[in-house]
Amino acid sequence: MIQPQTYLNVADNSGARELMCIRIIGASNRRYAHIGDVIVAVIKEAVPNMPLERSEVVRAVIVRTCKELKRDNGMIIRYDDNAAVVIDQEGNPKGTRIFGAIARELRQLNFTKIVSLAPEVL
Amino acid sequence: MSFDIVFDFELLVDLDIGEDTDDMFDDLFEKYGKVVYKKNDQKSVRAEIDDDAESLSFAVSVAKVANEVKAGDIKVLFVKPLVYWTRFFIITTAFSRPQVDAIGTRIRDMAEKQHGKIASGDLKPNSWTLLDFGDVVVHIFLPQQRAFYNLEEFYANAKSIELPFENQQFRG
Repeated sequence: MIQPQTYLNVADNSGARELMCIRIIGASNRRYAHIGDVIVAVIKEAVPNMPLERSEVVRAVIVRTCKELKRDNGMIIRYDDNAAVVIDQEGNPKGTRIFGAIARELRQLNFTKIVSLAPEVL
Repeated sequence: MSFDIVFDFELLVDLDIGEDTDDMFDDLFEKYGKVVYKKNDQKSVRAEIDDDAESLSFAVSVAKVANEVKAGDIKVLFVKPLVYWTRFFIITTAFSRPQVDAIGTRIRDMAEKQHGKIASGDLKPNSWTLLDFGDVVVHIFLPQQRAFYNLEEFYANAKSIELPFENQQFRG
């Protein structure tokens, strides 16, 4: 359940460390975003000497949420943190590697590029 | 082959013992040893090998089509032992966006006509265009992006498949 003002960790090596959600892309007036949704976010904390800087506005895909994700087979997945991967306008990830486990739902949502860079897919 | 340990609940109901389950488990263990059941929905080894062969022939035909459109440095990787979600990766370089478009369109047409497979993934040519056929995933990169993402290094442990044609290396 990501909404504007939510802080998220960054699960890639793009150079951003922490994001704040400012808008959910999709329908208008959508209240919450879940795994696989694209958000507009602002970088709150960044690694020094990297291309991305603090207070830059970027797009990101949510890859982990503390709110549980339910599958049709009854499986429920819940992560310890809220995390996102920074992408560009074309949908390519800005980093070259993803950290931590991600959910396989991202593949169905056409984020196979993120899935193929991830070390572990649940 | 993989096995899953499944506890047999029916056995519990049949025996109808409620008071001392620990003893019952001990008895069961002595009687049957480590009870291991195979999951019913798993494919046989034979079917698995057949599926692999089918995907392999599809992957090689995709690589051939890419070679016809002069894609550079085509690599077919057998990634099934590393990731569960697909079997083969095809990584190739295109030298311009129109060429990315040409390779993507040719591969889509061939897959639909000859194998009846439809790709999901990017529809427009992109600096990293990805075509997802389920068991086979095609990555078409521009040279700069290929070096940037360096997928071959990430999947360095995957077995590379020999291709039947002379593979064209990077053009100068």
